[in-house]
Amino acid sequence: MARTAAGNSRTLPWLRLATAAAFLFAPTAAGSQARAVPAASASPPDDGQWVMPAKNYASTRYSALSQINRQNVTKLKPVVNVATGHKRGHEAAPLVVGSTMYIVTPFPNNVFALDLTKPGAPVKWAFKPRPRRAAQGVACCDIVNRGAAYANGRIFFNTLDGQTIALDAATGKEVWRTLLGNINKGETITMAPLVADGKVLVGNSGGEFGVRGWLTALDAGSGRIVWKAYSTGPDKDVLIGPAFKPFYPMDQGKDLGVKSWPPDQWKIGGGTVWGWISYDPKLKMVYYGTGNPGPWNPEQRPGDNKWTTGIFARDIATGQARWFYQSSPHDLYDHDDINESILLDMPVNGRVRPVLVRPGRNGFMYVIDRVTGQVYSADPYGFINSAKGVDLRTGRLIPVKEKEPKMGRVIRNICPAAPGAKDWNPSAFSPRTGLLYVPHINLCMDMGTMEANYIAGTPYIGADVKMYAGPGGHRGVFTAWDPVRRRKAFEIKEDLPLWSGALATAGDLVFYGTMDGWLKAIDAASGKLLWRIRLASGIIGQPVSYRGPDGRQYIAVMSGVGGWAGAIVSAGLDPRDPTAALGFVNAVRDLPGRTKAEGRLYVFALPRR
Amino acid sequence: MRRLLPGLAAVALVACEGRQSVTGGDGLHSGQFNSLFLIFLLVTAFFYLLVIAFLVAAVVRRRGRAEDRPEKSGGEGGFRLILIGWVALVALGLTGLTAASYFSDAAAGGARPANAIRIAVTANQWWWDVRYLDPVPANTIRTANELHLPVGVPVHIQLKSNDVIHSFWVPNLAGKQDLIPGRITDITLIPRKEGLYRGQCAEFCGLQHAHMALDVTVEPMETFEAWRRSQLRPAPPPATPLAVTGYNYIMTQECSACHNISGTPASGQVAPDLTHIASRRSIGAGTFPMSRGHLYAWIADPQSAKPGNHMPYVGLEPHELHGVVAYLETLK
Amino acid sequence: MSSHFRAVSAALIAMVALPSCDRETRENRGKPLPESVPGIVGDPRAAEYEGNAFHIAQGQRYYVWMNCNGCHAHGGGGMGPPLMDAEWRYGGSMEQIVDTIREGRPNGMPSFDQKLSEQQMWQLAAFVRTLSAQPRQDALPGRADEMSNIEPRTLDERRPVERTSPAADQARPR
Repeated sequence: MARTAAGNSRTLPWLRLATAAAFLFAPTAAGSQARAVPAASASPPDDGQWVMPAKNYASTRYSALSQINRQNVTKLKPVVNVATGHKRGHEAAPLVVGSTMYIVTPFPNNVFALDLTKPGAPVKWAFKPRPRRAAQGVACCDIVNRGAAYANGRIFFNTLDGQTIALDAATGKEVWRTLLGNINKGETITMAPLVADGKVLVGNSGGEFGVRGWLTALDAGSGRIVWKAYSTGPDKDVLIGPAFKPFYPMDQGKDLGVKSWPPDQWKIGGGTVWGWISYDPKLKMVYYGTGNPGPWNPEQRPGDNKWTTGIFARDIATGQARWFYQSSPHDLYDHDDINESILLDMPVNGRVRPVLVRPGRNGFMYVIDRVTGQVYSADPYGFINSAKGVDLRTGRLIPVKEKEPKMGRVIRNICPAAPGAKDWNPSAFSPRTGLLYVPHINLCMDMGTMEANYIAGTPYIGADVKMYAGPGGHRGVFTAWDPVRRRKAFEIKEDLPLWSGALATAGDLVFYGTMDGWLKAIDAASGKLLWRIRLASGIIGQPVSYRGPDGRQYIAVMSGVGGWAGAIVSAGLDPRDPTAALGFVNAVRDLPGRTKAEGRLYVFALPRR
Repeated sequence: MRRLLPGLAAVALVACEGRQSVTGGDGLHSGQFNSLFLIFLLVTAFFYLLVIAFLVAAVVRRRGRAEDRPEKSGGEGGFRLILIGWVALVALGLTGLTAASYFSDAAAGGARPANAIRIAVTANQWWWDVRYLDPVPANTIRTANELHLPVGVPVHIQLKSNDVIHSFWVPNLAGKQDLIPGRITDITLIPRKEGLYRGQCAEFCGLQHAHMALDVTVEPMETFEAWRRSQLRPAPPPATPLAVTGYNYIMTQECSACHNISGTPASGQVAPDLTHIASRRSIGAGTFPMSRGHLYAWIADPQSAKPGNHMPYVGLEPHELHGVVAYLETLK
Repeated sequence: MSSHFRAVSAALIAMVALPSCDRETRENRGKPLPESVPGIVGDPRAAEYEGNAFHIAQGQRYYVWMNCNGCHAHGGGGMGPPLMDAEWRYGGSMEQIVDTIREGRPNGMPSFDQKLSEQQMWQLAAFVRTLSAQPRQDALPGRADEMSNIEPRTLDERRPVERTSPAADQARPR
């Protein structure tokens, strides 16, 4: 099971072998294969590029390059430091294909192709989609974009005003452009598309605006809609048919997307798909989560509110649903379920099974069978007092009655807060250590609900929220989770919430960034901080690693604080109102003093010998 | 005194008016209250008459025997016996009244019967938001300012308020229960007689407290089920050109910012639900009876009809007003 | 009746009658003035609505009903800019705020022209100005029903309104 590191590693071969052997023969719990491995069909060998934000369809965010390792990481230096020209939240992952790097900026979502063969990575071409300015007013959580995707010579990305655009990767010319979202209803798109099986999968945003969520598959060649699966409504809209076999009785029934809502509420129900999609090429199934139901005030929508805050598995060719699991039926706290699903094959109860592991927003680390949708385990990885656990027999989350929001009252100290134990920022999995590296947060909230009014194009929320640090006083946490042993291997407490992605490399390093601008490299096995550098602005983007044209390993990340967590800086909010930015301002009142709004691309490398 | 008699009679007779009458006794609990009132009346009347009788007897006896010195009648022992007897009688009477009152109250505030229809009423200034709950959420009904109840079936109403303290009072059926913001109270009704009744907000809640009535219809079970089924139907599409004009106005202009009409894009939640407005008996929580003319009056200028209420004066053009009323009339 | 009695009764009647003079007048339907043109200076309606407690209280209600608090929170901002500080992108006078609400603004403020009546927009503008302590303190709404743990607004100090866009410099300072 030892993996040979790809790329021209300069470390001594015998050291590499010994390290690999040490992991291979580590004591195990049960069975001959004791460690989780990424699903083989979804994680091809690393070619040194980074063609999609998740690195591969299994969403490992793992680079098999090992030139930068624990010994030499202290020598890492910035070799590129360019301004993007925009000062809002930079959440995107830079893509690297061949010798070109592609970045997408926050609104106005300009795309730049940078030439990596020349020093300083000058711009090869730029594409300005000119999205409608009014889209900025219906973006809940800063005007971010989570990145593009590359496939077959084309770059695919989404704009805030609801368009998906395909560009020729070499020239930057527009190939096709499809309008999918209507900003007059509050619909935007911020997610990074997934390109698989000749289709571009796009989901919308707008759960705070009463937008009905969907996942659309466009033909990668022409941009025409192949199928569209809604997240609420009758079965024919949700693409639920005879192939649909949810594992738990609570998800079984006809037209549950209508029956589990008061009349007509499913039309403004939410369930947007603004997060991550994984794909299993062997099973030909895509896995993604749906967002929160609208409004946040749960008393206006009694019922389970299918099919929001749950995970769908769909057949990629037709979009027909194969199974669904609802993590938070009748969601009470805006616990969107859009986090990443890492596709692993790992031992569960003695047998190796194909699973997906996902750090749920509600604070539970789910291990779910990829084929059937059965939840094998749901263990808390953060502090939770709003739910007692997950009943594995029925699959239902067990809520705590005292923490249920009530209109006209303020319910205090609900943990985890609305952004959950972890929001969108993705984790990384290292097959070498078998650990899942999760950058996340430790926040609790007070929530006061009131009746929300629905006016198309305006927020449909009905809640005042105030967030603050959870038990311990630290607002961010970096957890290394062992999915087989179902417990934390180590944990690093951070003062500020962690809103950046994680990157794991074969050099046994894990990279992540803090909101006040520190890019950190830690030891993948022990969590010891090995290197850090202060960047111009807070880091909420996704770090990537690639092999440059000269054969060396590089680390690239965008720096530019913002997003929901950093809106106080990027949007200049007033810290005197604790309910600003849907409650986040209260949790990060000190952030304006610690970082500034900026927008930069950084690339790091070891000095040449 | 003679001249006042017809006036007094008129005042007394008003209380006998059927639709909103405390003495109606058309519900189980109001019937119980009536019985309680009768018990109190009889017991207190009995004691009152006794006291008057003693008073008259004392006056008459004293006058009649003014010249003769009154003997000590009955002696000390007899007097004490009478005193003890009187105290015991009063104590018995008060205990009886307390017990009757306690049991009556306990019955009114009793636990929710298992087969009760469940309704949630949220009071706003100055209208009632009524929701009929159902285990299947898609079968919940939302209406405003009216209640339809089947006769003989217990109804459990959960009471909430969105702004200030109101009080739910349908005198024919039961007593008052406050709706307090931030709390959930409840009341159980068991209507016993079919008919149309009028409820009223009974706690001063602002400028238009007087115009916060509730139309209660108690009907046989089949009629109630038919009403329920019709309430679940979404609004029909507009049929005539005038109704289309009104529909377009409602969907694009101010109306849809606050009102909800099921089956259309209008999904405002903060104002009364209009999906079946034409089937209601009144407009504006009892301000006007429902009719075409009154619809015109209300929509043209709600502030003159109910000054200070939260529906603004919009100032529609005449053709828009015709269209809106024509469309709303189809929402039965 | 003695003159003493007359004097006392006159004083009592005056004591009872005078306080019943309205502290403020309330126009339930709004005075029928001509529509305001964007940027016009010194619209007389501004004075009618600005210090009027009833209109500010109605504005407070509509602020939540029209989902202003969804984007602007309770002055701190979020999807929209803060309303409680001194920076106003499009001007902070009554007329300019009404204009913003009615027409919308280029970077995402929706237009409420078709959703609100004129009077409602003025009431909202009057309330919005209280978020930065602009009008008289005695007209402020009595109680805010939202969750907060900030100082009561009656204790706020007035912050002078700054105009940051040249187009917003049309109204005279207030």
